[in-house]
Amino acid sequence: MSIVMIDKLTKIYGHGETAITALREISLHIEPGELVAVMGPSGCGKSTLLHLIGGLDRPTSGRVLLDGQDLAALDDNHLTEIRRRKVGFVFQFFNLIPVLTALENAALPLMLDGIKPAEAKQRAQEWLERVGLVDRLEHRPDQLSGGQQQRVAMARALSTEPALILADEPTGNLDSRAGDEIANLLRQISDQWEQTILMVTHDPRIAAYADRIVFLKDGTIVDEAHLSGDVSRSTAGVMERMEGL
Amino acid sequence: MNTQLTLALRYLRGHKTRTILTTLSIVLGVMLLFGMNGMLPAIKESFSQGVKTSISLDELTVTRLANGIFGQEQVALVRNVPGVVAATGSLSRKVILPTDMAPQDQRGQLITNLTLTGLDLDSFGEINPLSLLAGRSLQPGDRAVALINQSLAENSGLGIGDHLTLPTADGVTRLEIVGIVAGFGALSGGEPLYLPLDLAQQVLNLPAQINVIEAMVAPSEDMAIVGQRVLESLGSGYQLGAVETGSEIQAVLELGDFIFSMFGIVALVMSGFIIFITFRTVVMERRRDVGMLRALGASRRTVTGIFLFESLLQGVIGTFLGLIAGYLFISWMLAVLEPMWRERLGLSLGGAQFSLGIFILSITLGVGISVLAGLYPAVVAGRMTPMDALRPAISVERKGSTRRRAIWGIVMIAASILCLLSRNVGLASLGVILFIAGLMVLLPLLVRPVTRLIGGLLTLAFAREGNIAQGNLVRQPERAAITASVIAISLAVVLGVTGLLTTLTYGVFSYMDKSLGADFLFIPSSFALGSGNVAAGPGLISAIRQVPGVEAATTLRSSFARFGETDVMVIGVDPQTYPQVSGLEFSRGDEQLAYQAMAQGNVVLANGMLATQGKLELGDDIELLTPAGMRTYTLQGIGNDYMNSKIMTLYVSQDLLAKDFFETGDVLLMLNLADNADPVTVRADLDRLEAEYPGFTLYAAQEWKDRMVQDARTRMSITYLLVAVLALPSLIGLANTLGINVLERTREIGILRAVGATRRQVQRIIMAESLLLAAIGIAFGILAGLWLGYVMTASMALVGYDLAYFFPWSGILLAVAVGLLIAVLAALHPARQASKLQIITALQYE
Ligand SMILES: Nc1ncnc2c1ncn2[C@@H]1O[C@H](COP(=O)(O)OP(=O)(O)O)[C@@H](O)[C@H]1O
Ligand SMILES: [Mg+2]
Repeated sequence: MSIVMIDKLTKIYGHGETAITALREISLHIEPGELVAVMGPSGCGKSTLLHLIGGLDRPTSGRVLLDGQDLAALDDNHLTEIRRRKVGFVFQFFNLIPVLTALENAALPLMLDGIKPAEAKQRAQEWLERVGLVDRLEHRPDQLSGGQQQRVAMARALSTEPALILADEPTGNLDSRAGDEIANLLRQISDQWEQTILMVTHDPRIAAYADRIVFLKDGTIVDEAHLSGDVSRSTAGVMERMEGL
Repeated sequence: MNTQLTLALRYLRGHKTRTILTTLSIVLGVMLLFGMNGMLPAIKESFSQGVKTSISLDELTVTRLANGIFGQEQVALVRNVPGVVAATGSLSRKVILPTDMAPQDQRGQLITNLTLTGLDLDSFGEINPLSLLAGRSLQPGDRAVALINQSLAENSGLGIGDHLTLPTADGVTRLEIVGIVAGFGALSGGEPLYLPLDLAQQVLNLPAQINVIEAMVAPSEDMAIVGQRVLESLGSGYQLGAVETGSEIQAVLELGDFIFSMFGIVALVMSGFIIFITFRTVVMERRRDVGMLRALGASRRTVTGIFLFESLLQGVIGTFLGLIAGYLFISWMLAVLEPMWRERLGLSLGGAQFSLGIFILSITLGVGISVLAGLYPAVVAGRMTPMDALRPAISVERKGSTRRRAIWGIVMIAASILCLLSRNVGLASLGVILFIAGLMVLLPLLVRPVTRLIGGLLTLAFAREGNIAQGNLVRQPERAAITASVIAISLAVVLGVTGLLTTLTYGVFSYMDKSLGADFLFIPSSFALGSGNVAAGPGLISAIRQVPGVEAATTLRSSFARFGETDVMVIGVDPQTYPQVSGLEFSRGDEQLAYQAMAQGNVVLANGMLATQGKLELGDDIELLTPAGMRTYTLQGIGNDYMNSKIMTLYVSQDLLAKDFFETGDVLLMLNLADNADPVTVRADLDRLEAEYPGFTLYAAQEWKDRMVQDARTRMSITYLLVAVLALPSLIGLANTLGINVLERTREIGILRAVGATRRQVQRIIMAESLLLAAIGIAFGILAGLWLGYVMTASMALVGYDLAYFFPWSGILLAVAVGLLIAVLAALHPARQASKLQIITALQYE
């Protein structure tokens, strides 16, 4: 069964004359273990899509099924629980709580879920080591580089072993080398732990790490491509495909 | 829970200055509330030094209700009660020695405060043998001798064979010290002096009277049963155990208690506002963190909990420190007050004492107000959706809520004005609260127009920066409004109290002019009648009457009675001569008829305070427990005299006082000169009399009034202390708001600097903002303060002071000065902070 099933999803912001349709009857399935990239120009609705799938916002119409659960049927408390247990978020900015250390940030979802601090930190530390952050556990975010901060955010997203990881421009704020490292890490996570990941990017180089790319424009899906099937797994391949749109 | 606490702690630690400032405001409020209340018991105790009786297991102590005296023949009745093996009567009263008679201690301070105890020489040894350290005890047949205790001997250096001089009803008496007994004077009481009963009765002018009976009960008997029998044998009006003293002073102190508590609570409420503003800002600042937490799966309750924990932590820490600060502050105050107290009142002061109740009140209010102030911001934070936080919607001014706010505010202000117009004090007080609340509702809307109004003036001083400062305030109208309100409330309280004090002072002066119509006064050592004065016998008044040039003279006598639950002072006047020399300022009843009725029968007059608190009407029957038992008198007039306006007082004829209270000593004497008399020669004669009666000091009426005016001025200086204390929270609040404004606009300041604003200009912007805020606060503070003062004056009328309202011009000046000073002080640090920002860091902020 698909981890994510969305059906005719529409999101309209505002009312009347100023209303903006961010998503227009989108349908999409994501299978377990898939690494899917959503690509598209700025303002095409990528973040909106991610927010709806992650239960951060509610659609105007249509349905989101996450791990078989219809999000529309849930109240705020249950939605919160879904986010805590089944989804891991990685954002472009403002990712970490500034007053907590790297380790505490990574352990935060576990602690929020009521797991004992010692155990939560133990598990968080394992994930921090897996994402390559070994010696900076007690540093606060402002003492970490952008790439390191994003690794902490990944460890945090992974710590609850969620059904789905949602990453909104995870490399958007990083230089190209750090960006590549993070993209690589996502790929590795997908391969090694069969973690399902949906990431948003407008960078073809990053999108090239995915299994599948969904092209979004003006709130609708305009194309879809399986890498190494339809398209060669390379930046050039992705660029080529985009050109065709 | 754990996560919330960790996060709360971390956030508090992450913003040290802000945390310290907000916590400090709680510390201050708790300190005031707790400290002031801890000081009062010491003062109360200092006043309630009356009879000190030793209580042991086989001894009964009998006293009269209302600290009354009674005939010494009652001892025989007690002796005859089955089970009583021995009984003795004594007369024990505190006296204040005139300064030229008081011994000095080693530091050179006068020991003016003694407790005279007259012992029945034939019987006291059986019951209460004093443990002698040196010399001999009192023996039957002794005349002018006395025992002192160890601590008086040590302090004063007096020893066996030395002499002490005491004032008596008809002059002075010299006592030889024959023995020294063990023991120390009560911490706050006078040093005991033991002397023969008849001598004590003569000194105190209470012939054949005692006020304590001590009885020894046979070991085989049940104390309670014998005690009951003793009471039955004596008739009504007696009690077992020591005398309760000074409940009339108690009442005054309780009023003080109440006022101090009110200041503490006002200060705490203001710290509540400060916390509220801070938390509102903090929630906005931390929007992204909140969004992140919510996205990660933190529930609304968790988020609310973090903020509540923060306010709780601050409340707990602030309260704890406030308790300590209050204790230290008051201990220091008492140490400073003690010498003054000793000198002015002849009383010593104990240490600070804190009842369980005041602990509970301080902690509940300190922690409670902090949490309450954090509650709304915390709930707002909890209500944020992840989307609100991650994608801040551009704030749109909601027209509906603005209109609703305006309507509510106007309704509240209108209602408050109606309350004022109702001329009902209860409603008017409600009106003050409504007015302040209405102001707080309206202020956010008023910030814009008022800022523009006052801002015009500001641009004169700050030509370039004024506009930016105005813009900044208008952008955060709610925060500006709350800060201005905090300033307004403290200034209002300052002004209100100044208004009341001004009115009281002038009011009392006008009473004084009317009720102290006398030309000369013989004033006893202690100012308040009935607290330890040595009364004069008939010799002094008749001597005064014989001085050539004296047209009329009159005396006051005093005692106490129990009226319902409280002690009231009873003043004996001479209905013939009193109106000629001085007289009461009547507020109800016909003056002439009242004095006539007084001369004829069981008639009393009440002062305003008693009439109001006892809800008395003319013609009412008043039941009093007097030293002679229950008596009923008719109320024929209500009026005030200056000296007794602050405690509940009844006036009776001196004949009645002698009959039912056994009091015949004069404690205050007043006289008027004949028109043709030469004041200089009369004064010379009176001076000679004064020298013969050292218990009294002679004042010309004008001298006395001058002294009272001086005293009133001293009391006014309390206002300045108050101003300082109340100004502090406003200072913290304003500094806090400015500090937050600077933090929030770090980026903007960076841009300002980048486009060429100098450091000075940045500083001036902050200073201008501060002055603007303070100006708004001052304007509204003065409005509310005038009102408050008026209402307080009006409520004084309710408790018996009918005073005309005096407009507190000086208070207004004071409020403006303090407000502006606060503005400048509060801006200093934030302004420096802002101007020190490096352009690059400022631009990178966030
Ligand atoms: N809270 C909001 N209110 C109004 N319009 C919004 C809101 N959030 C997003 N939009 C609009 O919806 C469209 C899609 O936005 P978004 O999903 O953020 O695009 P992307 O992430 O692809 O850049 C944009 O036109 C954006 O302006
Ligand atoms: Mg986006």
